[in-house]
Amino acid sequence: MCEEEILRLFPEKIRGRWREVAGQAEKLQEIRLRAGRPLTILVDGKERFVDPGGRIVDRQEAAARQESAELEEILRHLCQYSIYAFADEIRQGFLTVQGGHRIGLAGQALLDGENRIVNLKYIRYLNIRIAHQVKGAADPLIPLLYERGRVVSTLLISPPGGGKTTMLRDIIRQISNGTAYGRGINVSVVDERSEIAGSFLGIAQNDVGIRTDVLDGCSKVEGMMRLIRAMSPQALAVDELGGIEDMQALRMANGCGCRLLATIHGGSLEEVLRKNFMRYAVEEGLFERYVVLDRAAGAWGIEGVYDREGKPCLR
Amino acid sequence: MFKVIGIICILIGCVGWGNMRIRQERERIRHLHTMRHILERIRTEIAYGKHTLPEICLMLTEINDICYRNCFQRISEASAANGSGLPELWKAEFQAFLKNQPLQEEERELFARLPDRLGFQEETGQAESIGRLEAFLAQKAGQAEEGCENKTKMIRSVSILTGLLLTIWLL
Repeated sequence: MCEEEILRLFPEKIRGRWREVAGQAEKLQEIRLRAGRPLTILVDGKERFVDPGGRIVDRQEAAARQESAELEEILRHLCQYSIYAFADEIRQGFLTVQGGHRIGLAGQALLDGENRIVNLKYIRYLNIRIAHQVKGAADPLIPLLYERGRVVSTLLISPPGGGKTTMLRDIIRQISNGTAYGRGINVSVVDERSEIAGSFLGIAQNDVGIRTDVLDGCSKVEGMMRLIRAMSPQALAVDELGGIEDMQALRMANGCGCRLLATIHGGSLEEVLRKNFMRYAVEEGLFERYVVLDRAAGAWGIEGVYDREGKPCLR
Repeated sequence: MFKVIGIICILIGCVGWGNMRIRQERERIRHLHTMRHILERIRTEIAYGKHTLPEICLMLTEINDICYRNCFQRISEASAANGSGLPELWKAEFQAFLKNQPLQEEERELFARLPDRLGFQEETGQAESIGRLEAFLAQKAGQAEEGCENKTKMIRSVSILTGLLLTIWLL
């Protein structure tokens, strides 16, 4: 990722202030903008601040404060001056921009009669999560994801920011292109939040392999069945499983003979398997590999790989 | 001999001026229709495709009118090159282009400042807001077309009459 891509997240008139931050593109993880609060960034796992001159500093007292009007201008810019096109994303509290960077939003929620969020107003908090494509990130894992030349269904586990999506993206790329352990296969991706492929105008901005089809912006449940019918994939990839509906869709996909590649939030295998909706996955042996990722001291790595019984394959 | 040539030149000049005014009026109607057509396209792309402004500009690089097409081409290229704010690019491009077109000030402003009206949080409301602008331009075009025939006759008569009066006065 280059400096220019980070700068383009901001309106032209304030890009000067973000030039030094953009220079850290490779290590930059998050940019946090909160109205009236210091400009905060997360570089290589370490929290730092941006002063009024655009320099990166360690002391928060020296940091510049974010103005509300400027925050709104940034949001308009991120929405490509077409807020209406991102209404659903804003309602859900995040949007994904060109390059697959995810923008988390918070402000005042407007609720309907059933306490569901119908919109967000006074958006005063932005969390820009910088997407990184790390080609080769999955290299140590790849040998463990094949059995007799066939890809096995795999669940990647890590806390937020632990590198799940980055790892999943590289696994998709490698198994789609083919590796020393197996030939390339057709992979379909339901990219609900445009984070895996980072599609723009329907074209994947990230390299997800030559045999990969992407259904962008579609819910996992609907997207999985649609892709199975339409694209006849040999493997199906989804990001961030979060409920019983996702699990039921995965069961159906598994029943169709698809290999599954998925991620889930969690600190450990035990924690994930304790989740109520994961019961089916365990009972039916939906996943043949559980990969626990860990981010310690700014560098992420593989904490352990387990088989369907939870026995370590690699630790 | 020179007097006859002079009379012919004056008459041709006056008729030519009249024709130029008529052509300007027709050109204004054509612009109004083109702008209305563009707004209609933007409205439908927003309502049914939920496309963003840069995406719509890219689609509009394929419209028939070469002048507008070139404007959208330049906007799209500049936006893609450095991620500049599209509203500023749109305003700058269309203010410069429409300045030389035979349009009324409010018609120029309406089109050049269109991105300022794209702040709606929901596509139906946004499309309706553009629909109102479209209706305004359609009404303007309708009025201009209605009056065009009479205006053409009047301009033609005035230009010939002016030519004759000038000739008589100079003789």
